[in-house]
Amino acid sequence: MALEGPAFELAYRAHAGRLRAVAYDVLRDRLAAEDAVHAALVRVWSAGAYHPERGALLPFLIACVRREALGALRGTARRTARERRASAGRPSSADDIAALDPIEARRVRHALDALPGAQRDVILRAYYGHRTLAEIATETNVPLGTVKSRLAAALRRLHSALSEGSP
Amino acid sequence: MNHLDDDAELYALGLTEPDRGPEIEAHLAGCEPCRARVAAAEEAAASLAATLPPVPDAPARRAWWPGLAAAAAVVFAAGAAFEANAARAATGRLVATDTALLAIAGSHFGHTTLVSDRGVTAKALYARDGSWMYVIARGAPPGTHVTLLRPHEVRDAGAIAGDAPASLFVRDPGRVIEVDLVGGGRVLARGKPAF
Repeated sequence: MALEGPAFELAYRAHAGRLRAVAYDVLRDRLAAEDAVHAALVRVWSAGAYHPERGALLPFLIACVRREALGALRGTARRTARERRASAGRPSSADDIAALDPIEARRVRHALDALPGAQRDVILRAYYGHRTLAEIATETNVPLGTVKSRLAAALRRLHSALSEGSP
Repeated sequence: MNHLDDDAELYALGLTEPDRGPEIEAHLAGCEPCRARVAAAEEAAASLAATLPPVPDAPARRAWWPGLAAAAAVVFAAGAAFEANAARAATGRLVATDTALLAIAGSHFGHTTLVSDRGVTAKALYARDGSWMYVIARGAPPGTHVTLLRPHEVRDAGAIAGDAPASLFVRDPGRVIEVDLVGGGRVLARGKPAF
């Protein structure tokens, strides 16, 4: 496969920006976020662990980085400081402007608004609030098993809604 | 292992137990339905990620390795091209430049830190099959060259360019024994890749 230097740099930097934002969202610490991105990329690439049939590359890498960041968060005392800043709020139309991808952010906000209330709530807590499943169960007084199935169903529904909206 | 069921979505969100990663990936390698389900969930999670704000500007740069991840800051200045990339990538469709990234992601690569006693910080990323190498350096004077030592020859790969950090992409470096940064007739930094 052809490998152009400039293309490599462009692609790498473009993706690194988004990956770093994903890690920063969880860790709220620039250096810790960089470390999480490096750790995830080195883990994936040094093992040659990605093959195209696994799925699209960027979503795969985003998931890897978020797992790495959540792992770092849960393994450190950073959590306390971070929790003060973490918001369980939903993205607003004002946030769309500041988003990494304003157009996609608006589609996502509409799709979230169209979810049943309980599904929307569990996604907001898990994704934007960085809550664990057990924390959501406690906060909402819902059994853990229900939290799991509700969150999974919510993400599936979000995916279909966003796919339908694609050109 | 049974099918992942709801764990497919929970895994995409990073909410399965951390130590289950290898087991889940091993299952995915052999199970097309679960792979499709996880890939769809990861696309939805990537859409959520698109709503996040960029990392705020850094007050100061870390001395070293941000070359890779923190070079991303440069991208936000790249404006239109980045926005277009981001919008397309967010929907799970890979951009044209991802061809290059796919080649890298699909290949085994290593990295090594170059050692310097002259205040240069540098790192080399390289494909284990010898098809490419990417050298990133900070604190090296303009005109610094990358020299590659191979079993029976020394190759001048060219000068590093840019700043904060400077970099050089080398095509087909082969299995390099040693990477040197050379400036003013001196070796400024040196590293040994492990193939």
